[in-house]
Amino acid sequence: MDTLPDAFAPAQAGSSSMPANSGAKLGPVENTNSPKPVKVDDPPKFDLESYIANYTGRTRFNRLYLIGNTSTLLAVDALKLAITEAKNGRDVGQYEKAVRALAEASPGEKEASLDSVWVQDVQRSVRAQSERLEHELRGYKNNLIKESIRMGNEDLGNHYYETGDLLAASKAYSRMRDYCTTPNHIASMLFKMVNVYAERGDWMGVQSNVHRLRNSQSKPEDLQKNQPKILAALGLAQMHSGSFRDAATSFLAVDPSLSDTFNEMITPNDIAVYGGLCALASMDRNELQKLVLDSPTFRQFLELEPHIRRAIAFFCNSKYRPCLDILENYRTDYLLDLNLQRHVPALYTKIRTKSIQQYLVPFSRVTLDSMAAIFAPDVVGGEARPTGLNSPFVQELISLIKEGILDTRIDLERGLLVSSQTDPRTEVQAKTLDSLSTFNKEAHTRIIRAAVFHAGLEVQGDIEPGSREQMGARKGGGYRRGVVG
Amino acid sequence: MASIRALVSRSAKLQQFAERSDEKYDGQIQELVASLRQSLSDQTLNFAANDPAVLDNFDPAADAITYLILLRLQIQTLQESSQQKIPTALLPSGTLWPKAVHYIKGFNPVQVRYVGNEWRQLIELVAHAAQSVSQPLLATKIIRDAMLRLDPSCSVFTSTHLLFVRLCLHAKSYGCALPILDKYICHFPGFTERGLSKSSPVLCARHETSAAFITARSGLSAPLTWRDQSRYFLYGGMIYMALKEWNKASHFLELVMSMPSLGPISMIMVEAYKKWVLVGLIEAGKLRPTPKTIAPNVLKIYQSIARPYLNLAQAFELGDLKRLNAEIDAAVQIWRDDNNMGLVSQVKDSLSAHALAGIKKIFAAITVSELSGQALSLPDNVEAAESEIASLIMSGSVSATLVHSPDHPEATRLRFPSDSALSRSSQELQVQNKLENEGRILEALIEGVKKRNQVLGLGPEYIDHLRMAQNWGASGDGFAIMGEDTGLEMDEDIMGDQT
Repeated sequence: MDTLPDAFAPAQAGSSSMPANSGAKLGPVENTNSPKPVKVDDPPKFDLESYIANYTGRTRFNRLYLIGNTSTLLAVDALKLAITEAKNGRDVGQYEKAVRALAEASPGEKEASLDSVWVQDVQRSVRAQSERLEHELRGYKNNLIKESIRMGNEDLGNHYYETGDLLAASKAYSRMRDYCTTPNHIASMLFKMVNVYAERGDWMGVQSNVHRLRNSQSKPEDLQKNQPKILAALGLAQMHSGSFRDAATSFLAVDPSLSDTFNEMITPNDIAVYGGLCALASMDRNELQKLVLDSPTFRQFLELEPHIRRAIAFFCNSKYRPCLDILENYRTDYLLDLNLQRHVPALYTKIRTKSIQQYLVPFSRVTLDSMAAIFAPDVVGGEARPTGLNSPFVQELISLIKEGILDTRIDLERGLLVSSQTDPRTEVQAKTLDSLSTFNKEAHTRIIRAAVFHAGLEVQGDIEPGSREQMGARKGGGYRRGVVG
Repeated sequence: MASIRALVSRSAKLQQFAERSDEKYDGQIQELVASLRQSLSDQTLNFAANDPAVLDNFDPAADAITYLILLRLQIQTLQESSQQKIPTALLPSGTLWPKAVHYIKGFNPVQVRYVGNEWRQLIELVAHAAQSVSQPLLATKIIRDAMLRLDPSCSVFTSTHLLFVRLCLHAKSYGCALPILDKYICHFPGFTERGLSKSSPVLCARHETSAAFITARSGLSAPLTWRDQSRYFLYGGMIYMALKEWNKASHFLELVMSMPSLGPISMIMVEAYKKWVLVGLIEAGKLRPTPKTIAPNVLKIYQSIARPYLNLAQAFELGDLKRLNAEIDAAVQIWRDDNNMGLVSQVKDSLSAHALAGIKKIFAAITVSELSGQALSLPDNVEAAESEIASLIMSGSVSATLVHSPDHPEATRLRFPSDSALSRSSQELQVQNKLENEGRILEALIEGVKKRNQVLGLGPEYIDHLRMAQNWGASGDGFAIMGEDTGLEMDEDIMGDQT
């Protein structure tokens, strides 16, 4: 824990102040909500208090705020907790944001009005401390003692981080780089950077810092200790960049020794959920069995979230409906998760598509009705013609075929999905012919070009209208009329 | 008459040398040509200038030179006396026409290499004669055979090529042009200092490529300009279009589009680009990717000039019949001005075929009424859509069956058989033929590459490059171009140096 930023000291309320730049620091959290705010009406399966107790650091506020903005049911509770959380810290921007949100959700609450005395107090003390720390740092710089300068920068960075000026915090942390003397210092500095970038939503930055962490020349035992955290952060960054397969690999490699050491960013439960979903979305059945269910390390994470384990097991046993049902039941929870919210639709679509693909593997033809019973049960109940052309399920199949994901054709007359039988021999022949003629054409073009150069017949034309070549072309076109007629 | 006998015996003497060594044969032919030319200028041959029957003493297969010189002399005499470019005797009904045709059909392809100028002029005269009586068809076939007789590989571009495709377009005998068009052209006789080869080979010898004897000096081709080869490929592309050989047509047009340029581009190239866009739509159902050999700045010019065509392509790719119609109607004047109206109407017709091919990938069976809701490219009216589909099936562009059911007359079903149902053996044979064909083309191209490699290797640019390479201290790899295994990279490199 000592290599981590102790960024969130449960600070004494009211020290210094942060001036006008509170607008900029809100960026990341708003990013996670954009472009259009997600709204959830169903109750989640978790208990808010115990859920948030799993986390430490600024992520607590961010998560509460997200839940408050997303869930209609929990809005008031979550925002109240968020306000308490913000008041425990020194980030005025956070506090104001939470109060604004609460005032929108439930204007009657007493917390919905701004505590301007507290705000001014905190702002003043934050400003004073910023000045004091900057001043101290200047002093250290004059003395040219590396260690002091490093610590001065670190203190400044921690201060900015606590008060929500993430840009300044990352700048202060990166200034530490030149004054780090031991690999340990470097690792601790990089972890702080990772935290700041993660909160800013700059996942590219997270990724590059994680790579630096991996390549840092720490002692093997230190590296061993940091490894789970590095992998977890890497997985998160990969998930956010949309490469679910890489993310799954990273999450699956996280050692259970992570336990509670990285709670300011990710808990073991999160690892299980993120890793499980990413794997479901990107791996086939064999890989899921071998790399996920049979993995001795990841098994320990999965035990924390048994429903994910069940969903994966169902998928591996080709029971797609129960698998999709479980995921559907937990959709609310995942939509309320800070990191997962943006990716739930993509992940779910991928899992669904993959299920349809896997479902079709053993069949050469299958009735649309039996497929609809598994993949679109609500449609079967509600519509007159569940497998007609205009039903959403058939339209979904059509779009999958168009994208080339499914290699099948729909027989609407008999209500069948027929797999296209391709003849490998014909396919190879067609490919060979195609590449041969493409090569021939290009080779010919290039030979002609070279020959034309050599003979000095390069085009010297101009494009003035009425010139000779245009008339020639016109004349050529004249023959064309005959050709068509 | 004594002179005729002398001529005949001289010609016969030549025959004896034909079997001997190339050098001796070469010397004899050159001597004969020189003496005939001499007697032409001395006017000692004038006794034969007016009597076509004289020619009967000679056999084009054996006495190609004497026959040709006498024939030219007679034509020239007629031209001078009648003050016409094409004397009436040379017209298809005239007395000289059968003589000329007889010659063109049976000349000795080795001997005419020495009298290239006269040979080419004869071909041109015959072509003009046929055209002047509006019967170009009379000349197309014999000229084609003459070209193939002179150079079976037809890999050297000559002015006759251009003359020939023009004639074919006039005659509308497109199929007749295929034997020539299908040969891949790999060489151009150079008329600039750069292109002229310094050495003079033994003309009558066997050569690996016809580029050895069809040179600027041989006279077998009139001096070429940069417009000629562009026109040839454009016209060739148009012939392929007329035959609906879209793939070959687009290759020819691509050749025109990627002609190297010294700066400005020509309208011929733009014309080719416009047609290429339309051909791509008809053949592939979409705008094809532009060939890599076109420079980006040139491509930009094309795109800015051919904007309406690109709009049309966009509407086509969306598969929306109404939008396509709107685009076509909006620019009718442009299609007319470019003489592309016919192609545009074919583009429109091909839309539903391409749409149906797309539907075929998704559905195995579907009713027509469902289909017309699904595909924007079919008419809204179910009956109209049905007849459209029926005509497509009949034309063979889509393999499918329409099924009327007695209970629901309004619900006609369309059923696509799976591809494997096609007859296997016939397909197999087809593929084999195609593969062999492409293989032959490849072999011809390899010959072209070898020759080009050699020529470029001996060119001053390459020598300069070598000298530079030596200066850089890397002389070793510079010789690689002369080796067997060099591909096209080096060609490109040298082209890069010149552009």
